[in-house]
Amino acid sequence: MSGDRLKIILSLTSPLLIIITLFFGGIFYGLLQSLGYQPAIQKYDINFDAYYNVMFSERYAKLFWTGLGLNLWVSFVSTFLAAAFALFGALAIRKTFFAKTFCNFIYSLNLPMPHLVVAIGMIFVFSQSGLLARMSSQVGLIGSPSDFPILVKDKYGLGIILTYVWKESAFFFIILMSVLQSLGENFEELAQSLGANKWQRFRYVILPLIMPSLFSASIIVFAFSFGAYEVPALLGISYPQMLPVMAFEFFLNPDLNARSEGMALSIIIAMIVMILVIIYFWLIQSKIRKN
Amino acid sequence: MSDLKISHLYKNFSGMDRPVVNNVNLNIKAGELVALLGPSGCGKTTILKMITGLFQPDSGDIILDNTSLLPIVTEKRDVVMVFQNYLLFPYMNVNENVGFALKMKGINKDKIDEKVKDMLELVKLPDIGGRKPKQLSGGQQQRVALARALISKPKLLLLDEPLSNLDAHLRDEMRELIITIQQKLKVTTIFVTHDQEEAVLLADKIALIFDGKLQSYAPPKEYYECPINERAARFFGGVNFLKSTINNLNIETEIGLIIYNQKNKNDLLDNHLLAIRPENIKISKDNIFQKNCFSGIITSIIFSGTNTRYKIKIKDTILECSVQSLGIKGISENDKVFIYLPEDKLWGMNE
Repeated sequence: MSGDRLKIILSLTSPLLIIITLFFGGIFYGLLQSLGYQPAIQKYDINFDAYYNVMFSERYAKLFWTGLGLNLWVSFVSTFLAAAFALFGALAIRKTFFAKTFCNFIYSLNLPMPHLVVAIGMIFVFSQSGLLARMSSQVGLIGSPSDFPILVKDKYGLGIILTYVWKESAFFFIILMSVLQSLGENFEELAQSLGANKWQRFRYVILPLIMPSLFSASIIVFAFSFGAYEVPALLGISYPQMLPVMAFEFFLNPDLNARSEGMALSIIIAMIVMILVIIYFWLIQSKIRKN
Repeated sequence: MSDLKISHLYKNFSGMDRPVVNNVNLNIKAGELVALLGPSGCGKTTILKMITGLFQPDSGDIILDNTSLLPIVTEKRDVVMVFQNYLLFPYMNVNENVGFALKMKGINKDKIDEKVKDMLELVKLPDIGGRKPKQLSGGQQQRVALARALISKPKLLLLDEPLSNLDAHLRDEMRELIITIQQKLKVTTIFVTHDQEEAVLLADKIALIFDGKLQSYAPPKEYYECPINERAARFFGGVNFLKSTINNLNIETEIGLIIYNQKNKNDLLDNHLLAIRPENIKISKDNIFQKNCFSGIITSIIFSGTNTRYKIKIKDTILECSVQSLGIKGISENDKVFIYLPEDKLWGMNE
């Protein structure tokens, strides 16, 4: 083994050990708990009872499946809308220096803002006792603030979607701007001179060129919004309830037996995200093989 | 075949201290192959982009077949541009790339396939339709880009530095292909280049542009034989310039009296420049020449493979002389030599 190779392996060993211990150790321990192994309460049997309870028991099944539906709805819609807003925003302003600088500034402010702060902002602005409701009532658009449409703490997760769209569109925007800038305008100009109109240039040139970056960013945003707890906890309702909130409530349960259900739910969330990521990589790989 | 007339074209970008394109006028006849030649930043690509419609001129007009192009959007102009770096769509195969323009026109797939096949045969790449651009060499990519541009039978073909990304061998091959195709399809073609050799090899006529201004528009030979000014002469490899004044029937230069009988003799001002290309100066160790003959000392000899360059000091002036291959036997540095400046190779310019 050459000296360089040994150096690389040694320098990678300590960070890898930490990652493996914390990440895989945590996953492994969580998996054990989800399978009913809880030495703290003298439970040593390995079984799938917690998974069954969460998904199929009379008590939790409805909550789980509606929660899963809400999770998928919120994650897909917010990812799609955030990507779409960012894409059209980036395409619209990329050639104008002032708008580009202004939007970059706004989004740069948005990026470091914690999700929790944005969620609280949503309550202040969009709830029925919020700023928008009061202003609408003041100017006579609605009779009273309670006539304002329910946008936060609603059963469709609109407040949650709004929060994610606002937060994640900044992430998409920054990625797309950098991709569009690195691509330049030559491909579009070429397509234009070959007879492509505005829509054709978007459909046949821009979209295929940015799709790999857009898709990768979408996976990250989807995975985050699917597994995040704090925004649904603040802006969601008790039924239907998104899965991370449900999992957390299992953990908060004073009955330690419920911890297995909490862990099972967490593992299910992680599995769904992992399956989606695997599908994504499989699609990418098959595309590469095809090429 | 289409005629192109560019009249009083002017373009200024904000923040620039001079117009990028300054009152350019050009008449390009149908089927001609014309080079826009000039150093980087002289405005030649801007002219190309104004012809395509990607830039709008501040003033002036671009008329194709008696119709102004200015009110017409790029995609409807029937003017196709081939970019310097080919820009094949990386996610499409060669067939899809070549058929792109027809697809945009909504032509049915069978018709597109048929035309794509014809075009790939025209550029001598009949069997690569299924490949992706990254599987092609630079020369192949250039051919595919050319096929893609020509498939819709444009009225005007614009090429941005068509040979600059190719190595010497491929340049020759590509040059021949461009000329063959251009003559076969008789498509009016303009190409942009900063390389005078590329311009001379390809073009029927060259439009020489400096600082956004058209200096001269003439066949390549004229740039060698009778350049319009010192800068144009230097751009085409001219290095020998003699400050001259008119002295009765002859011309007095810094190296002595010179007999000059070119067609522009009567147009020369009192103070002007005489130019002669290095390859046109004759050199000998013995005094074998009759007129326009001067003696000097060899100050340097440089062998560059295809020719040998001599620097000869005559009084206080250095002239460069180029001789094919290994040069002249028996001549070394510091030797006294005689040179002859042929009357028909000298050219006077008012500068």
